[in-house]
Amino acid sequence: MMGNRRVSRRTVLRTLSALGVAVASGFDPVTPQTAHAQALGQNETVEDAMKRLFGSKTIKDGSPAIKLDVPLIAENGAVVPVSVSVDSPMTSTSYVRHIYVLADKNRIPIVTRVTLAPEAGRAFMGANIRLGETGDVRAIVEQSDGTLLQVKREVKVTVGGCGG
Amino acid sequence: MADIGQVRIRVPSSIKAGDVVQVRSLVIHPMERIERDAQGKIVQKNYNYINKVIVTYLGKTVATFDTTQSVAENPFFSFTFKATDPGLLKVQFFDTSGGRYEGTAEIKFS
Repeated sequence: MMGNRRVSRRTVLRTLSALGVAVASGFDPVTPQTAHAQALGQNETVEDAMKRLFGSKTIKDGSPAIKLDVPLIAENGAVVPVSVSVDSPMTSTSYVRHIYVLADKNRIPIVTRVTLAPEAGRAFMGANIRLGETGDVRAIVEQSDGTLLQVKREVKVTVGGCGG
Repeated sequence: MADIGQVRIRVPSSIKAGDVVQVRSLVIHPMERIERDAQGKIVQKNYNYINKVIVTYLGKTVATFDTTQSVAENPFFSFTFKATDPGLLKVQFFDTSGGRYEGTAEIKFS
């Protein structure tokens, strides 16, 4: 009875997870598998990372539109709350498509890329990130018409939190 | 690490139709960092970290986070969505070891 239950539970779980992944990839245009194949975060300098992401496109100063909320001093670099909000109507014709968060001094400078839909209602994201050492944190916003806007703020880190 | 994959989602207690609602979500996950050997070389292995977060509301994708190891342990994300109809808000976390963790919140209007 017990042995039988263990085997069947494992089988059920495995089948369920396989099904679940299949369903998820069927519904979502971007599957996690493809995201993994071309790794977003790599060991590189922030210049290389930005070249890889944006090519030679010009990035304008976005300080009037973008509000980047980071602490001035991060006591602990392992957990630094960051939030970005952008002035945008978020209609189907004009919305913020991507919000990138980059940490210049991290060994993996790209922290996250957020893809938003107009249904989000507001161009906003928040996350807890790691910071290896004192340096700039950038928020780069790509609007639906392809315009790139950037703001950056320096964060002082007392204790580094990024082994990688 | 028995707690890996526990997802917590917080939505405001009262939501009105048409509101833009801010949601906070968290998953318990180690988000392994890059390790280096004694020579300072990066240890090549499959690090286990969350690399994708997908938020769906009423079956439509509202926001997607592609994340790297520069995101903190037990990653926390917040986002907004426009509450048009009552329904299910689902947040799915995917990690590099094939794990898939999911949290849902039932959106109701009051």
